[in-house]
Amino acid sequence: MDLQALKKQEHQRRVKKGYMWALFCAVLWGLWYLPGTAVWVLNPFDEMYGEIAAGSGDGMALVIVAVLITAFNALTVILALMVWNGALGKFGEMKRTIKEFKPCSKWFFLASIFGGPIAILGSFMAMGFVGGAFAAVAALMYPVVGSILASKWYGEKISRRAFAGIGLIIAGGFTIFGGGVLTELGNGNVMWLGYLGGLMAATGWGIEGAIAGKGLDIAEPDVGLTLRFLGENIIWWIIIVPVLAIMGFPMFKYALLAFEPLTLLVLVFAGITFGFCYVTWYKSFPLIGVGRGQGIGNLYGLFAVIFIFLFFGDVPSWTILVGGALCLLGSTVMFSEDTSEMESLRGD
Amino acid sequence: MVQTQAAMEAYNAYWVNSPLPAADVLWMVVILVVAILALWQARTFVSQF
Repeated sequence: MDLQALKKQEHQRRVKKGYMWALFCAVLWGLWYLPGTAVWVLNPFDEMYGEIAAGSGDGMALVIVAVLITAFNALTVILALMVWNGALGKFGEMKRTIKEFKPCSKWFFLASIFGGPIAILGSFMAMGFVGGAFAAVAALMYPVVGSILASKWYGEKISRRAFAGIGLIIAGGFTIFGGGVLTELGNGNVMWLGYLGGLMAATGWGIEGAIAGKGLDIAEPDVGLTLRFLGENIIWWIIIVPVLAIMGFPMFKYALLAFEPLTLLVLVFAGITFGFCYVTWYKSFPLIGVGRGQGIGNLYGLFAVIFIFLFFGDVPSWTILVGGALCLLGSTVMFSEDTSEMESLRGD
Repeated sequence: MVQTQAAMEAYNAYWVNSPLPAADVLWMVVILVVAILALWQARTFVSQF
């Protein structure tokens, strides 16, 4: 076998692994919806919601409780990532990356600002002020932002075929959640805050992906993602939660009450799914590019519907089946792309 | 804080309609299996690339 053939074979293996990581991300993201949904009915979050809703209304209660749940989620994600990095023997690399702030870790701390408070808070605002289906559809748009930004900023190439695949997956997501969006648009209150939240979710995650793509030029994805969540924990626990407590919301009272076996168990599983989903998302970027990684990651909508049917027994409607078929078609379009198209992910 | 009866009822209600047996435990098993599979692939990946 000559050198050229070996190079081609190696490249094909890298692309295959890249798609595998993006698919892992989608499956784990879909699984996250199980603990991510169930934790809301458990105490102390259930009682916290009631207390805040009585004084400030349902929309505000949803956003404030979401902040505390997200802060705990970020905490359990860090624990899950410690297990991940420990199993891969990456602690030494982590120390080196933290020390190199200017060339390296600054990108991941920046990514944590866009992916954490901007995207996640935006998603909860969309959910609280318009509805869950609208929030899901708004978030599905993030690969468009990510791939355009990665293309303009550092010349990441995105083929027409890959863009068509991303478009089909987004169309599938719209079909899955579309019916719910129409109902919610008629019922929502304080709508502009919800639309702003939707915009924050799509741009936040898109920008995070593009920034991460830049940081991953010189850092390991496993370590880079752990630093990103270290940044997110600082933002939630050192800035946002204390600020909300100063504003008079009972943040610390309920945070201390969260140390209850069942609540902690559900939060730990949320941390495992979210942490591992995020790390596999980051691992796919250097192998297949930000646009493709985010496009396949968008299959989380389909996987969420499947897992919710399997474990919660919510039977999907026909629009979900049509949307799922579009998602599968979009993925096939991307998976079947000739890998020589991706020999160089950046422009010359 | 101990879970109230209402909270436990709401939590258990999620798994009651599942077509799978013991769904209240099975979802955790599925997550662990997928997570271990991902970690195993990551270790393989480290040794290959």
